[in-house]
Amino acid sequence: MHMRYSAGFLLALVLNLTGCSAGGDAPAADGRTPVALQLNWVPEPEFGGYYAALQIGADREAGLSLDVRGGGPGTPVEQMVAAGRIDFGVSSADNVLIARSRGADLVAIYAVYQTFPQGIMTHSGRGLKSLAQVFESGTIAMEPGTPYERLLRQRFGLDKVRAVPYTNNLAPFLHDPLFAQQCFITAEPIAARRAGADPQVFPLTDVGYNPYAGVIITRSKVIAENPELVRSLVATVRRGWQAYLQDPRAANAEMHRLNPTMDLETFAAVAAAQEPLIAPADPSESELGTMRLERWEALAAQLTELGIIDRAEPSNAFHNP
Amino acid sequence: MTHGSRLSAIVPPLVSLLVIGAGLELALLATATPTYLMPRPSVVLSALADNAGELSRATLQTALAASLGLVFSAVFGGTIAVVLSMHPWVRRAFYPYAVFFQTVPVVAIAPMLVIWFGYGIRAITAAAFIVSVFPIIANTLSGLLSTDPALCDLFRIYRAGRLATLLKLRLPSSIPHFLTGLRIASGLAVIGAIVGEFVADTYQAGGGIGTAIEVAIKEQKTDKVFAAVLMASLLGLGFFALVNLASFLSMRHWHVSETKE
Repeated sequence: MHMRYSAGFLLALVLNLTGCSAGGDAPAADGRTPVALQLNWVPEPEFGGYYAALQIGADREAGLSLDVRGGGPGTPVEQMVAAGRIDFGVSSADNVLIARSRGADLVAIYAVYQTFPQGIMTHSGRGLKSLAQVFESGTIAMEPGTPYERLLRQRFGLDKVRAVPYTNNLAPFLHDPLFAQQCFITAEPIAARRAGADPQVFPLTDVGYNPYAGVIITRSKVIAENPELVRSLVATVRRGWQAYLQDPRAANAEMHRLNPTMDLETFAAVAAAQEPLIAPADPSESELGTMRLERWEALAAQLTELGIIDRAEPSNAFHNP
Repeated sequence: MTHGSRLSAIVPPLVSLLVIGAGLELALLATATPTYLMPRPSVVLSALADNAGELSRATLQTALAASLGLVFSAVFGGTIAVVLSMHPWVRRAFYPYAVFFQTVPVVAIAPMLVIWFGYGIRAITAAAFIVSVFPIIANTLSGLLSTDPALCDLFRIYRAGRLATLLKLRLPSSIPHFLTGLRIASGLAVIGAIVGEFVADTYQAGGGIGTAIEVAIKEQKTDKVFAAVLMASLLGLGFFALVNLASFLSMRHWHVSETKE
């Protein structure tokens, strides 16, 4: 679901450099502060809370005028936020740490997914018992260079499988009974089942990879200069997600209007499937979206061990407003 | 070529490269542009050196698929052009469909190539072929159709048959056009192979330039992205030089484009 084409990346880079900005933030007529949030994909249930926030007017009540901007393959959210083209975007904890190690000033302020929503999907007919067995035969489609591809390669090796790119397309999976692929555990298995397959999913948390995902990022400068804006945005988003978890139907209808390729039934199924991943991982935690230092430290240690980053100060990478 | 003319061929592009590279380096330094947004040429070169082994293996792999695609384009494109040149009716019936190859958005059909040809070099070669065949058809056809009318009359006076006219007059006189098509196709074949690799590369033991670009993007190493793109450019340049060499060897004795210097 999150393949980002290189061409799009380079194009966006050029647009960034040539100053084709996403548009200025003029104050709204009624005195509300305009604030824009850049998504990294088209409207889907993983963004349900933002659309719900607009519908219940959570932004208005917090004095904001929230503009949720859909993304697509190739939206370089991290670069856009780091370069100051936009103040807020959706990314993931691993990308935040990697970007920071490359010199970008990104800070996470809210984490939608408390449990990492990605996994490896295979056909249950193969009777595989563990992730290790997925790497003993057949074909596996993953995005090369992602931290979990590095982790799985290091853990299980790729010498017994054929590794191919993941292209956000179910056809190869449906076509080949020995095919496995990365997936959003809330989305692709549902689509595969509807297409007649019988998928089996191994979450990446099985191998201890559990970064926060669906993370809202900004720059530390924004937090320092405008803490009130950051607090209001997080409060708005949190109310939106609470509303979406209670009843996703209205937000789903709005997202279906913006993204008609996903039907309402799938919207409802995905929204239901992702609920346990959004709920606070620690039962003592009552608030949605809050992040803990231990989790960031564990991730920093993993990425360093994998050789993806060479330094990290996890305590600077996130901020619970 | 004399010693002097060889120098005059090498010096101007080197000077322009140095001037543009130094200008870019200074501009990026002066504006303090961070590497993750736009790396300076020196940073790209050091990324190239740091990843020399990986990137040269990737380039060799991409070179194989791109050159196979280019060879298929030369053979099929040339043949199709000859068939189309036979009769205006054939041209009218089939030329519009040759244009199809030029307009195919290869990014959009690349996933289908995987279904048709399987993962690996066959699908990647097919992507290189699809984007590189049209310039060869169009240029060769234009060459076949623009044979000197006086020479055609001469062949007619001597009662040469269609086959003899094709082999001894039309084909030789279309060679410069064919080579122009091949020059355009050589860069396109590299692009096609890289796009093919984005969807079809089997990378368990490494991968091509397309995979190297994907990995560098995921690792947010912008300098490595540019280093990989630079290798792709060098590969295209290498193909271009090979076509020029073929052009020189095949036409040095008779065609004005290769004899005038």
